[in-house]
Amino acid sequence: MSQHLYACVHAAEFPSQALLRLRPDLQALPVAVLEGRAPLEQVCSMNRHARLRGAATGMTRLEAEALASQNEGLRLLPRSLESEAAARAVLLECAASFSPRIEEARQGTACATVLDITGTERLFGPPQALAERLRNALKAASFRVSIAVSANFHTARMLAAASRGIIVIGAAEEATALAGLPVALLEIPDDRAETLAIWGIRTLGELAALPEVDLIARLGQSASGWRNLARGAHAHTFQPIEAAFSLREFCEFETPVEQMDSLLFVGARMIDSLALRAATRAMSLATVAVDLALEGKRAHRLTIRPALPSIDRKFLLKLLQLEIAANPPPAAVLSLTLTAEAGQSSKVQLGLFAPQTPEPSRLDVTIARLKAIAGEGRVGSPVLEDTHRAGSFRMTAFTALNPAEEEKD
Amino acid sequence: MYTRSATALRLEIEHALERSFPAALTPAQRTIRETASTGIAEVDALLDGGLPVGAISEINGPASSGRTTLVLSFLAQRTAAGQVCAWVDADDAFDPESAAANGVNLRQLLWVRCQKAGGLVRGKQAVKPWTQLDQALRATDLLLQAGGFAAIVLDLGDTAAEHARRIPLATWFRFRQAADRARTSLVVVAQAGAAQGSNAQGTNAQSSTALALQCAAMSPVIAGGTVLRGFRFEVRNERQRFTPFAVGRKKPPASVWPASSAWDTAGLSDGAVTFERGRVLEMENSA
Repeated sequence: MSQHLYACVHAAEFPSQALLRLRPDLQALPVAVLEGRAPLEQVCSMNRHARLRGAATGMTRLEAEALASQNEGLRLLPRSLESEAAARAVLLECAASFSPRIEEARQGTACATVLDITGTERLFGPPQALAERLRNALKAASFRVSIAVSANFHTARMLAAASRGIIVIGAAEEATALAGLPVALLEIPDDRAETLAIWGIRTLGELAALPEVDLIARLGQSASGWRNLARGAHAHTFQPIEAAFSLREFCEFETPVEQMDSLLFVGARMIDSLALRAATRAMSLATVAVDLALEGKRAHRLTIRPALPSIDRKFLLKLLQLEIAANPPPAAVLSLTLTAEAGQSSKVQLGLFAPQTPEPSRLDVTIARLKAIAGEGRVGSPVLEDTHRAGSFRMTAFTALNPAEEEKD
Repeated sequence: MYTRSATALRLEIEHALERSFPAALTPAQRTIRETASTGIAEVDALLDGGLPVGAISEINGPASSGRTTLVLSFLAQRTAAGQVCAWVDADDAFDPESAAANGVNLRQLLWVRCQKAGGLVRGKQAVKPWTQLDQALRATDLLLQAGGFAAIVLDLGDTAAEHARRIPLATWFRFRQAADRARTSLVVVAQAGAAQGSNAQGTNAQSSTALALQCAAMSPVIAGGTVLRGFRFEVRNERQRFTPFAVGRKKPPASVWPASSAWDTAGLSDGAVTFERGRVLEMENSA
């Protein structure tokens, strides 16, 4: 049996990453994320710019606001669990394209995912190459992650949390690689951690060097596990999860948005992400439901239905723009949710002697524009009602399918 | 014996007559232009095959002059061939039942119903006719740009001629270019101009149209007694671009065609009914 190999993806400061992922306008600014009930909120996460300006985890709202008044441009955002759930789904899905066996290993506010990459050399090359491809794929989805590859599950997890970039540990090098890391990574209870501090044990290497029997005699049976973790020899039974495939993106705005341009700016990023995720499964977006949460606890729902499933970003964005223009939200928007249904990629068989018909995707945009000019329900194909009443008909959506294809349907 | 070939002889004669008749014996090259049948034999014969493809055709005439029936017959032919068509309805006057009765496959017809947009003028709701016309022109522009439509009908039949004539020439020129590029037959249905003068056009699209037809009602077709079976219409070819100039022609060529009522599935033929001119006068007098 071949030796196991694990790759751990660690996305630090996940609350801020989840909020900024769809907001490129905020990515270059210092941002701190607050959690808790007002007025007792505390900073739980921040980006690199905020940390450089003195923000730290655990700061109270008052302290953070004082810092914001000193540092022009520091933004304080409330934590959004819904954004994190959507971002987590994207991260898991991206990881799932590299290995079908994935286990989540949460560490505080970070989002960590361990992939079982045993036997993937022939698909993705050596572990270093796989890690680089995985990191690039996540970077394209706007995640900043560190990746560690090791034969030991926990070694990969701890190394990814404590380092930046990509680290690949060879067989039997776990103890050496872990030796310099702080004991705090083991999540030891406070009283035991205090004892270790009194003994002068600060790194995993120092803990691994202690005699096992004496350690258990003083700290209890669980000390054996900590020592094994520090040596990179702790066994782990892999428990793979199966992430449900759902195309959903969520973005909450810090202030109510009234302008359509701002909505579309965020919507474009969301459509990008949805199209990319659908494309990795060789699928397209058949329908996109747009849910807008409005001020006054109201909701506004729009639906985009292209004639043929598509992953063309410009086309979908144009449809979204025309749909919002035709049905503008009656109040300012608090959050935007895009839920897509995947469909098979469109296949149109063209024929040399087939009659000329409008291109389906182009026709969709044209009809949406016509609706904006003439009004909803005034563009389409008339269908006569089965009645003797004069002038009775209804309008239906116009599709430019060939008669032969319609009969097949 | 000295013999000359026919080509050499022709060249010699042409050279001799060059000053008076350039290329006297060489037939002028004629480009075969694509046409689409209207489905009415009399009109097709008048137009050398039908309405031009990739060009603007203008069909003018007052109400009940057979212009809509002619266009519906044309659309029926196009949709029967599996092609898609569009009807831009400036005044929301299109009747789907009539279209279906004339054989148009409604599933292959995109209907754009322009709506009246009112504005408040001194506290009263005022309807701006230009708004509807503007919608129709913008919709036609979009459809021409989208491409893929075999025929687009711009129905200005109920739009006042003075409004239709205000459409800028540049718009028609753009439509002509777009129709040529998309290989679409753009059919403009309009009223006869109020101040017609020398031309009988409903719009000022003359310089861009490839074909201008003038429709007129002639007489009803009576199937004995007081049963009306249909109408006879006259269609006059006012202008046809790319047609060789006919020397000595004073009146534009015209054709008469019958149209049966929608309920009359048997259709009209000259042998089946008698054409009663006198009956028209009788009906007019009684009215």
